[in-house]
Amino acid sequence: MHILSRNKWPIFIGLAPALVIYLLFAIVPIIISFYYSVMDWDGFTDMKFVGLENFREALTDPIFWSSLKNNLLVVAASVFGQIPIALFFALLLNRKLKGGKIFRTLGFMPVVISTVIISLVWGMMYNSRRGLFNKLLEAVGLENLAQNWLGDPKWAMISVCITMVWQFVGLYLIIFLAALQNIPQEIYEAAEIDGASEMKKTRYITLPMMRNSIIVAVILCISGSLRTFDLIYVMTSGGPGHSTEVLAMYMFDQTFSSTRYGYGSALSLFIFFFSLLLVYVSTLVLKRKET
Amino acid sequence: MLKKMKSRSFLVMMAFLLALMTACSGKGSDQASGDNNASAKDGNKIELTFWNIWTDPSPQIEASKKQVEAFMKEHPNIVIKQQNIPHDQYKVKVKTQAAGKQLPDLIQVWPGAELKPLVDGKLIQPIDDMLSHWSDLLPEEKLGDYRMNGKQYALPGSITPTSLVYYDKDILKNVGYDEFPNTYEEFKKLIAKLNDKKIIPIALGNKAQWILQSSYISTIGDRLTGDQFLSSVLDSGDKKFTDEKFIQAVKVIKELADLKAFNEDFNSIDNVQHRDLFVLGEAAMMIDGAWSLGPLLKDAPDKNVGIAVFPKVEGGEGDPAAVSAVSGTGIALNSELKGEKLKAAQEFFEYFYSKEYFTELLKANVLVPANIEPPAGISPLLKEVSKLVSHKLVPVYDATLPTNVTDILNTGLQEVTLGTMSPEELAEKLQKAVDKQK
Amino acid sequence: MEQTVYEKQSTISLHEKQLKVRKYSKKSIIYLLLVIYALVNAYPIFWMFLNSFKGNVEISQNPFGFPIQWVFENYKIAWETAKLNTYFFNSLIVSFVSVAITVFLGALASYFLARFTFRSGKIMYSFFIFGLLIPIHATLVPLFLLMKNLGLLNTHVGLILPYIAFNLPITIFILVSFMKSFPTEIEESAVMDGCGVFRIFWSIILPMTKPALATVVILNFIHCWNEFSFALVLLNDESLKTLPLGLANFAGQYTTNYGAQMAGLSLAIIPTIIIYLLMEEHLVKGMTAGAVKG
Repeated sequence: MHILSRNKWPIFIGLAPALVIYLLFAIVPIIISFYYSVMDWDGFTDMKFVGLENFREALTDPIFWSSLKNNLLVVAASVFGQIPIALFFALLLNRKLKGGKIFRTLGFMPVVISTVIISLVWGMMYNSRRGLFNKLLEAVGLENLAQNWLGDPKWAMISVCITMVWQFVGLYLIIFLAALQNIPQEIYEAAEIDGASEMKKTRYITLPMMRNSIIVAVILCISGSLRTFDLIYVMTSGGPGHSTEVLAMYMFDQTFSSTRYGYGSALSLFIFFFSLLLVYVSTLVLKRKET
Repeated sequence: MLKKMKSRSFLVMMAFLLALMTACSGKGSDQASGDNNASAKDGNKIELTFWNIWTDPSPQIEASKKQVEAFMKEHPNIVIKQQNIPHDQYKVKVKTQAAGKQLPDLIQVWPGAELKPLVDGKLIQPIDDMLSHWSDLLPEEKLGDYRMNGKQYALPGSITPTSLVYYDKDILKNVGYDEFPNTYEEFKKLIAKLNDKKIIPIALGNKAQWILQSSYISTIGDRLTGDQFLSSVLDSGDKKFTDEKFIQAVKVIKELADLKAFNEDFNSIDNVQHRDLFVLGEAAMMIDGAWSLGPLLKDAPDKNVGIAVFPKVEGGEGDPAAVSAVSGTGIALNSELKGEKLKAAQEFFEYFYSKEYFTELLKANVLVPANIEPPAGISPLLKEVSKLVSHKLVPVYDATLPTNVTDILNTGLQEVTLGTMSPEELAEKLQKAVDKQK
Repeated sequence: MEQTVYEKQSTISLHEKQLKVRKYSKKSIIYLLLVIYALVNAYPIFWMFLNSFKGNVEISQNPFGFPIQWVFENYKIAWETAKLNTYFFNSLIVSFVSVAITVFLGALASYFLARFTFRSGKIMYSFFIFGLLIPIHATLVPLFLLMKNLGLLNTHVGLILPYIAFNLPITIFILVSFMKSFPTEIEESAVMDGCGVFRIFWSIILPMTKPALATVVILNFIHCWNEFSFALVLLNDESLKTLPLGLANFAGQYTTNYGAQMAGLSLAIIPTIIIYLLMEEHLVKGMTAGAVKG
């Protein structure tokens, strides 16, 4: 706001409190954690400086790489699953409908409900002996498609991803719904006078106006997926084998189960940089489309 | 319009501030700590902080809590301030607190690999000078799990056999077995017969990955390798995980999986769910620790259950009647504890580990390390268990191996059952991890 | 002549009819989709509620049906095991204070980041966004040590501050993107009227941001209400602990009381739903078109 920018004081007053709290209680801890990454430390005895040893170990650790691969799968499933579905239902729900509030509320429930419950319910539906999915397949005569969804390394990661997509659609739904309120009604009215169909209005007005929110959603999606922990932790604990292991979980286990704080911190540094890279690349891609 | 909005936002702002102020002043710094040695005395009272995992209302935990209550009643000058934290979270919390040297005065501990870092970090102190108090009650050979570098750090509250075969006598009778099979070959035939009848032979929920290690390989491994195996692997290096006998033991587990001895979803359900399969009669057997005895008797009091040990395996070097077992949790003393607080803690120990306590535990279907007459009316199954374990006890893998080796074993066994890793590969991986420790 | 008029009329009405039918069927397809969507999303809550009345064995025996034996006692056990009477209240305090401060400070910061151009603005914005990428569990031990040194261990303030710090990034991220989309004329006319910087924030920008504010309030509340790890590590006093810590009490080392756990979780979800319902109105009511025209 050039008109006001002559005076810097308000800017300082407005930003300082948020900045101070954020610096002290989010940035300082993570910097300390990065400091541990060049140490060998079990939390009980004294630290030992080991240089880049932890990073070298991570790069040669097959479980680290398979966790990364699984994690990228989660990112892909989330970005290409959650966002389109959320957008679709946001557009549906943004019209005047009877019972719109009920649908919106129920659609948001997966975000509200405890991960423990999600894991229990989906675990029972995936169950190979009496789960809903295999029963359904049986009922329509496709029993040869029945799988041991969570027990088979080939299917476990896919099954977990499906649940995760389901869990967070509601989150992006409300972000999109909020963004939709921001599109001035006049534009639609003008388009209607020109005789634009609903499809066309969505394609040429709504979606372009939502671009920023979609970018926001994609970035939240990527950063959230790379840090994903809770659901997988209770649903499969990374198993069977390491087939559903993801980075944050591997880091957690290394830190608190094997008490290797140094190695855990090195892993968290990798998580941080992977997210940074992915977020950077995706904003480049999305922004370029703009021009 | 502007004015209206302004007043509204002003109201909201006031509400924010008010909420902030109440929170900061009310629950603020004045309630800090109370946790460490600094403010020990509250009037004339000595306060001891005690952290444990006593969250669920199981009979064993109820008995332990009652013991603490009774102690405080008889010692009005001592206050034991407990914090009950569920098991998994407890481990995380203790490790974090240890990193900041902020452990409580009394800490619930587990033997072996879990105890070692606490000792190495000098965070807990030995209790040797009060041991004489229990010379009659607790036989010395039962204390070994909490001895480290020749010093005693805690007392075991219970003995936990980790590997018992619970079987449904009625189902076994139906397929022609009046007795539990003695040999592994015979055991396999039983599995085949149960499979023919479409009954799940063995209920297994290995989602959390430790069951195959704690309840299976700990005993099956011993059947084949003999009881000196783990210590030779870890200390002298005379034996290796890559030895034929250990690989054979892993192959037994693989064979069971290949024979479809388990419910097919054994990798996606947990140990609570596998107990339910057995309780409901969908499975004929379950291989589980003694911790399942209490819940089993509670959920299915009328079930005709038998208990056996894993059968003899051909060519094994171990005692065919041995059972893997570990000392139950103990309580350790913070190394910074001294003076009258230390004395109070000692008083607490002497009171807590009493004959009455161990008797209560027996009544709650828990085996104890103490020399006491079993009270009248304990369950026949517990008697059976205590007979089974009176023969010979062998170490449990996860209480002996370093945690990172245990982690490899846990996931490795699961992969072996899935066929994504061969027993030989697992053996090699384990040996490599052990070599790296040295 | 007459005939053609008649024909014409009939084709028109036919056309209208078709349109109506199409519109009608389109509507029913939309409803069908939404009903399926709602069912799929609502089912777990329903399931949780149903199973909160079952005993442990029945849950594995009969996971999908109605309880055969209604175990109302689960709720009593849940109330005691999860120590709801203290923890629930603590959670309310911690969540409300954290959300209020986060949203207020976040909105203020977002206003300057979105509506002003100054040299370090972009850097500062990116700096806040970094916070979205921090793996929470990596900060547990450092945060614990930090709080110990600040003497804030085992206080609600010591929990609220990290909650604010870790919720600010997403708050600022969402709010800035929303505020950026407002046309610049808004402030220009306000400045003409002689409004100060903060007055513009209060009286113009904030009301316009309502839908996004509602979004971040909901998200922040859910984060704080369900947060577990920080609370576990930073709080010791029973009188200070928050609800998620209590809800974990159902899982013992070898047993889990699923029925009571579900009863506890059913109770714990109520405040979140209330907050959602309160905020949802603002979420979709949108900018009142007249807000700018005043």
